[in-house]
Amino acid sequence: MSPCSAAATVAPLAADCLLVTPLFEFPFESVYVRSIVFVSLYVSVLAVLLSTAVSLPVALVVGFSEFPGKRLLTSLINTGMGFPSVVVGLLVLFTVSSQGPLGELDLVFTKEAMIISQFVLATPAITAISLAAVTSVDSNLRDAARALGGTRLDVALVTIKEARYGIVTAVLAGFGRAISEVGSVLIVGGNIAGADGVSKTRTLTTAIQLEARQGRYETAMILGGILVVVVLAVNALVVRLGDDGVMR
Amino acid sequence: MTVGRGRAASRSTGSAGTLEAAGVSFDYGDGAVVEDVSLAVDSGEVVVVIGPSGVGKTTLLGLLALFERPDDGTVTFDGTDAWAVDESQRLALRRRIGVVFQDANLFDASVARNVEYGLRIRRSWRDRIRDALGSVIGPDRPPGAVREALSVVGMADDLDSPAASLSGGEAQRVSFARALAYDPDVLLLDEPTSDLDPRNTAVIEDAITEAGERGIGVVVATHDMHQARRIADRVAVLLDGTVLESGPTDAIFENPADERTRKFVEGELVY
Repeated sequence: MSPCSAAATVAPLAADCLLVTPLFEFPFESVYVRSIVFVSLYVSVLAVLLSTAVSLPVALVVGFSEFPGKRLLTSLINTGMGFPSVVVGLLVLFTVSSQGPLGELDLVFTKEAMIISQFVLATPAITAISLAAVTSVDSNLRDAARALGGTRLDVALVTIKEARYGIVTAVLAGFGRAISEVGSVLIVGGNIAGADGVSKTRTLTTAIQLEARQGRYETAMILGGILVVVVLAVNALVVRLGDDGVMR
Repeated sequence: MTVGRGRAASRSTGSAGTLEAAGVSFDYGDGAVVEDVSLAVDSGEVVVVIGPSGVGKTTLLGLLALFERPDDGTVTFDGTDAWAVDESQRLALRRRIGVVFQDANLFDASVARNVEYGLRIRRSWRDRIRDALGSVIGPDRPPGAVREALSVVGMADDLDSPAASLSGGEAQRVSFARALAYDPDVLLLDEPTSDLDPRNTAVIEDAITEAGERGIGVVVATHDMHQARRIADRVAVLLDGTVLESGPTDAIFENPADERTRKFVEGELVY
């Protein structure tokens, strides 16, 4: 390592060093980082989209209809928010293993298995927060939608729109749980990167765990920084989309 | 219009735009709120249901708006029994009725989007999705009916204002425009000016009169006898869930037949 690059890794001391070298050298190939970020986002975003598609109708049904076992279901949803992720990982691994009910699909150590695992973890959080959001919408607004000629679907859409800030919070909470997950994705995904340096099932969190365990703290810290930036960027994007919908 | 007690008091001419409740009763489970009430409104007529708070005015309007099925009696629209047809046919009838509540109940959106709501949900899903995508990539252009309805209540310059920024009176005027925009045959208004100042009250009353002149049948529930006198073609006095007396406005106020009606219109306590 040249004196110039050694200094630049910590801080650029001389102007000529700054001109010819980056602030720090990445201790790994950019294709490796890109593939890890891609796997993290692919798995988490798909899992959260699926969770949202399931959670919103469930929240609306639980929020606005009466049926036997409603309180039990609500308790189960709330309990699910605190379900240990490692246990979820074990259950999903059993489900997709060759002896499990989804064994024929051969999903062990695949992104799809990771999506299932994150779906199971994110759904209770998204459902519970969405349920609180939709039930807090003034019932007079639902009456107004109905009075203006709205169908049940129209009334449900008005409710979702009025509860959009709470629902955005629910989606972000679910995304936060999914992308920061280590235990279950490690179990069902296996933390695999190919010989070409491209991630198969390695995510930012499992890569950080691996780097830290092998003593490469600098690398782990950089990956941690990337994870924080990714989470902030996704949050900003989702909040922006929510704000754009205010006047529409 | 005919109002009164019992089925015989209701009229069944079945003319266009006639909404009619005949001998309706309704019970929430702890005693009848509305009992054997008949009321019909024709196109272009302003009917005011007066009575103190808690006598069943809102429930009666809810029955007329087809929100609730009466325990007894019928609600017909142009001769069609609304509760003898399937849900899609009932929805079609419901979509010919506009309702304005005591509270404005505006959605968290712009004035234009609020007023356009009734028009939007009457479009096909294909058109609704196309409009939604269009509003994302380009400026919103509210239909002429939105501007027209807002101009009736003097709010045409507030198209782009957020509903949350309006005063109570302005919000209620927008709520009226929202019900007017899709050109209903009948308008039902539940205490529409009870929380408003005189200026906004005058705007709403003018709008009610204009709606009647445009051929819309209007039913207003209120405890404000002065308002009833100003806007009503006919009046029904509701007390304890039943109609005490009904008829032309002047007859009710000048020469009431029922003693409790006389007390009520003279401002005495009737309980």
